[in-house]
Amino acid sequence: MAEDIRAKLGRYKTAPFDSRFPNQNQTRNCWQNYLDFQRCQRAMAARGADVTPCQWYFRVYKSLCPTSWVTAWDEAREEGTFPGKI
Amino acid sequence: MVLRTVVTHAKKHPALIPLFVIIGCGGVGASLYLMRLAMFNPDVSWDKKNNPEPWNKMAPNDQYKLFSINMDYSRLKKDRPDF
Repeated sequence: MAEDIRAKLGRYKTAPFDSRFPNQNQTRNCWQNYLDFQRCQRAMAARGADVTPCQWYFRVYKSLCPTSWVTAWDEAREEGTFPGKI
Repeated sequence: MVLRTVVTHAKKHPALIPLFVIIGCGGVGASLYLMRLAMFNPDVSWDKKNNPEPWNKMAPNDQYKLFSINMDYSRLKKDRPDF
């Protein structure tokens, strides 16, 4: 399973079609992947498991999200004002 | 009450019946679609405490739209890692 995800990350080109967000407005797709990355990291770290599968969400949100949003959210997380539930 | 007004009006002006039928169908259709969206759209969350992100409950090959063209949903697989 870990080998699977490493192979997938090696072959990554761009964010795949997500049936939860089929329309032109991909805002929620970006937001959801950012949240999933943070949640995945927290969950895997709490369990002591390998954090590499979380990189999938990282690559996807990097492909989708405007950089200014990502930096704004990172700063909000550091300050503790991040609005999402992680 | 509205229906009785419409019926008596239609009896007096029978040429207007197609108008009533078409407008009636349009109104009913619009409200039915609105109910469909309210009940089945995965972006809608009525109960934020128990069901905060209903779009995450979709299987990878569920179809979100009513009519989707050129998208073969049966071939989609899950590609996100679990955690």
